Amino acid sequence: MDIQKDLVAASATPIVLSLLRQGDSYGYAIIRKVREVSGERIEWTDGMLYPVLHRLEAAGFVRSTWKTADSGRRRKYYRITRQGEAELARLKEQWNVVHSALQRLAEPGKTGVEDV
Amino acid sequence: MFDLESQIRKWRRHVQSAGSLGAQDVEELESHLRDGIVELTERGVSDEEAFIVSIRRMGDAKALDHEFAKVSTESVWRQLLVPAADEAARRKHRTEIIAVLLLALLGGLLGKIPALFGHPVVEESALIYARNAGLFAFPPVAIYLIWRRALSLRFVAVTAVTFAVFALAVNVYPSYPPHHTEILAVLHVPIALLLLLMALYGGPEWRRPSLRLDFVRFAGEVFIYSVLIGLGAMVLILVAGAMFQLAGVDITSLILNWLAVFGGCGVAVVAAYLVEKKKGAIETIAPVLARIFTPLFLVLLLGLVITMALTGQGPSEDRELLIMFDIVLALVLGLVLYTMSARDAEKPADWWDGIVLALVILALVADAIALSGIVGRLATYGFSPNKTAALGENIVLMVNLVFLAVGYFRFLSGRSRYQTVVDWQMRYLPTHAVWAAFVALAFPPLFAFA
Repeated sequence: MDIQKDLVAASATPIVLSLLRQGDSYGYAIIRKVREVSGERIEWTDGMLYPVLHRLEAAGFVRSTWKTADSGRRRKYYRITRQGEAELARLKEQWNVVHSALQRLAEPGKTGVEDV
Repeated sequence: MFDLESQIRKWRRHVQSAGSLGAQDVEELESHLRDGIVELTERGVSDEEAFIVSIRRMGDAKALDHEFAKVSTESVWRQLLVPAADEAARRKHRTEIIAVLLLALLGGLLGKIPALFGHPVVEESALIYARNAGLFAFPPVAIYLIWRRALSLRFVAVTAVTFAVFALAVNVYPSYPPHHTEILAVLHVPIALLLLLMALYGGPEWRRPSLRLDFVRFAGEVFIYSVLIGLGAMVLILVAGAMFQLAGVDITSLILNWLAVFGGCGVAVVAAYLVEKKKGAIETIAPVLARIFTPLFLVLLLGLVITMALTGQGPSEDRELLIMFDIVLALVLGLVLYTMSARDAEKPADWWDGIVLALVILALVADAIALSGIVGRLATYGFSPNKTAALGENIVLMVNLVFLAVGYFRFLSGRSRYQTVVDWQMRYLPTHAVWAAFVALAFPPLFAFA
């Protein structure tokens, strides 16, 4: 299933922030995790994650540090900030509104347009 | 054979050349790419396939660059001077900047050595300053490379000995009018010293010809940076000079004997540092410069050859013209080297390679004319240092241009890969420096220091 581009873009921020809330992570691991939890249905172009991360950092929602892995390779780890958690809560709220509206509309007889 | 490291290098250069990505961004993307490749190869996929799949997942470089450009609006210079994110890297960065500034200062101090020997005024002792220019500006670069590459004592010793030999030869040799051997030394010492810098640039693997192309690129970029910085400094100095003049103080002597010496001797190491640190910034300019000047030189050479054919007057009439001719040919070679360093060796032949071949062939024709001129003079007047040097230069250049022409022709007709041309050229490259060292060191005694 291909998810529409606009939807992918709009959902990227809350998804990334939610992931980072579970623990610090780096780009590659984030993408793999997203693929995994969405059952391979959310596929990002790998490179596009980084501009998103950098934008989040510029906005103060995440902070990054370089760490050296056992293999000797350097990786940039991201950590969510308090500001980021607040943003995540706000975004989740918005998604919940949209989500519940869709749900209700999908269940006929409950609050369908016909009822109004 | 698929060489993963070289492909990753190429990819990195490609991404960098788009322009918006800083060194850290590229490092982060590369780390990601490598993670992907490792995961795939662990599942049994070949290096090549893993690389291709990972690249595709990464996405189009142009689109990437566009996205990054939206995030990072700071200029190249700010990215360069803003300290790196983590503490260790930041400290290292600061140490390096301080070290480079100290090395630039060292270059300036070396440049003032003639003052200790009673030659404080550059204008009055121009030759002394000129013949030592390479010995003032290059040691800081050498030290910087040794420091950056953490080279062994053997390299340090070779460097010290080389500089000492040239310094002694250039300054202890007597020089009698008309000072031809001395002027030749001025021209040839820097070329000879480039060989030393090439070895230092390569480090422990300095014998590998593929590193030489990297050095050619490095030297070309250092040159561009130096010229740019030099131009900026000149404007600054002119403005400052004019302002002090208005205030009734003449600082011409201060400018010439201090600012110009320190600036001139220190700029090379600063440029070398910038090239090492900020590879992407100039890499986008070099191919453009090659594309602008190659056709211009083609037209120039064509005009020259046609003029000589029409007037029937070879350059044999004038010694200076003959030497100028050598310089033009050397520039052509430099241009081909530049094109070579900017070109992707895997790309198939196109019309541009045809233009380069035309340039080389024209240079050969011009060289043949120059050579016939000089042989005539030698037969009539015997060997003078200038003529012998010009002759040797010509032979070295001619051999170089002949196999460049052959190599390009074979490449264009599909009989060999571009890499073969590069390999030939890189193997031949040290010949120029060896000849230059010979002229600088052996000519004065051979020609009685005339």
